[in-house]
Amino acid sequence: MTGFLVLLCVIVLVLINVPIAVALCIASVIAMITTQGVASLPNVPLALYQGATSFPLIAIPLFILAAAIMNTSGISHRLIDFCQALVGWMRGALAQVNVLSHMFFAEISGSAVAGVAATASIIMPAMKARGYPGPFTAAVTSSTATLAIIIPPSIPMILYAVMAGTSVVQMFVAGIVPGLLTGFGFMGLCYWYAVKYNWPVEEIFQWGKLWRAFKKAFWALTLPIIILGGIFGGIVTATEGAALAVVASLLVGGVVYRELDWARLREAIIDGAVQTGAMMLLVAASALLGLYLTEVQLPQRIAAAMLSVTNEKWAILAILNVFFLVIGMFLHSAAAIILVVPIVMPVVTAAGIDPVHFGVIVTLNLAIGQQTPPVASVLLLTCSIAKESVWDVTKANIPFIGVLLFTLLMVTYVPVVTLGLVNVFYR
Amino acid sequence: MTLQSFRRGYERFLEGICIVLMAALAAEVVAGVVFRYSGHSLVWYDEVATILLAWVTFYGAALAVLKHAHMGVPEVVRMLPPGPRVAVAIVAQLCTLAFFVLLAWVGYSILEILAADQLVSLPEVSVAYANSVIPIGAVLFVVGQLLVFPDVLREARREDGPARGHA
Repeated sequence: MTGFLVLLCVIVLVLINVPIAVALCIASVIAMITTQGVASLPNVPLALYQGATSFPLIAIPLFILAAAIMNTSGISHRLIDFCQALVGWMRGALAQVNVLSHMFFAEISGSAVAGVAATASIIMPAMKARGYPGPFTAAVTSSTATLAIIIPPSIPMILYAVMAGTSVVQMFVAGIVPGLLTGFGFMGLCYWYAVKYNWPVEEIFQWGKLWRAFKKAFWALTLPIIILGGIFGGIVTATEGAALAVVASLLVGGVVYRELDWARLREAIIDGAVQTGAMMLLVAASALLGLYLTEVQLPQRIAAAMLSVTNEKWAILAILNVFFLVIGMFLHSAAAIILVVPIVMPVVTAAGIDPVHFGVIVTLNLAIGQQTPPVASVLLLTCSIAKESVWDVTKANIPFIGVLLFTLLMVTYVPVVTLGLVNVFYR
Repeated sequence: MTLQSFRRGYERFLEGICIVLMAALAAEVVAGVVFRYSGHSLVWYDEVATILLAWVTFYGAALAVLKHAHMGVPEVVRMLPPGPRVAVAIVAQLCTLAFFVLLAWVGYSILEILAADQLVSLPEVSVAYANSVIPIGAVLFVVGQLLVFPDVLREARREDGPARGHA
């Protein structure tokens, strides 16, 4: 009974706009005082501190930092130029360049917001100047940016792995095929639009031109190989791979290209620390609330209640998908993972769903959540850079969300899409 | 010194700390990898890295208050009429302040007990140093919350509702 009162307390505090992390802390303190008395209060600072000291989570600020360095050091525009030389001959070329360059960024960056920051100000004005409709331009940028959290590395996947107690590296491997599937789906959709509206070709394909663009982008293209090769090859852990990403992008941007913009880098580091603070305070707060929830066994009770309704695996997956899609509309993706994953994990385990498989399902749901207002971090940022109305862009974005939903369906009901590579290399 | 210039100085101060901590975290993890592959593993590498993460967390969280970057749901309050909106905004601020004042006090009081414990990998360093980030971070959070209070009130008072929250 008190368990539900505590949840009610959290919901009321969140609805009056107390930050979610603080709402969790206040509810936990009230629960601790009522059940164990004032003497239990010293556990509050101890649990908050413990909650913030998780080694795998160190990868989060480091990947944010690496993406920030990449965005401020001339790596972005070289990758975009290379993509243009590669697919500039296709109909609707700039839309294809947009998708393809995000597929490359996704292998260095783990945050969709960072992806928008990297490309939006370069590609979107170019697309508009070539006559692409504004809402379509913003929609394709916003949707393809979410590839950053599906294709490894991925910050939501790191958070999920820690919350669900599974392997970060296996999550990364499981994301490869769904990420490529979504990316090529986006390219197919853009091609269909390009033929329908007769969008322009940019340049004829030339090997010489591609070679020159490749040479210029060579060091930028080695970054994904170094980072992902290091992690998948077992040479470094995911966290160390993130540190490697920082060093490699500093070397490429600062020493090879010599384009590091220190003023912008300073802003980006501060922004990274702020994002880390906001995200990690929530992680610490959920660890505090977790102390209490474990004691009253609330997640286990929810699992029992759900399993008494149905114990068909496909039905449970369908329910969880709808649940996460709705949650993703109203919560930031990090908040959704931190709050919901610990509560639903007993259901997932009891239904015999593989935690890695489920992690990719959650990530895809939240990728869609980043595109669906009212709370849609990536879509809103893209709209504000493109100066387009959220409503128009959302309408133009529906077919792209359709592609994401198709991938979600495949991932949910064809486990080999996610677990195939994991089984080959790790099990 | 006006409140505005104090706030700007305070923000610069926290930004400086965050930059140093982020750089230290990246450098420490890289050093850990380099030393491991050169055959001289640093025993304190994991423990110090997680302490740095906790420090980035709480100093970054204090800075996030000034930048309105904490995750929340401002949409519901925005739908209220102006009178109740101001009242609710004040209640929300007081709840947040109350928690961090409590955290600062309890966090400080346990440092004395923790002073007797040492880090696992660095026995000469007391756990109290690492944990000091909790009371310090809580005090910094309270100061930030007080500094943004006028902003929050001004936003809540606007006739047409606050322009945008911090979702």
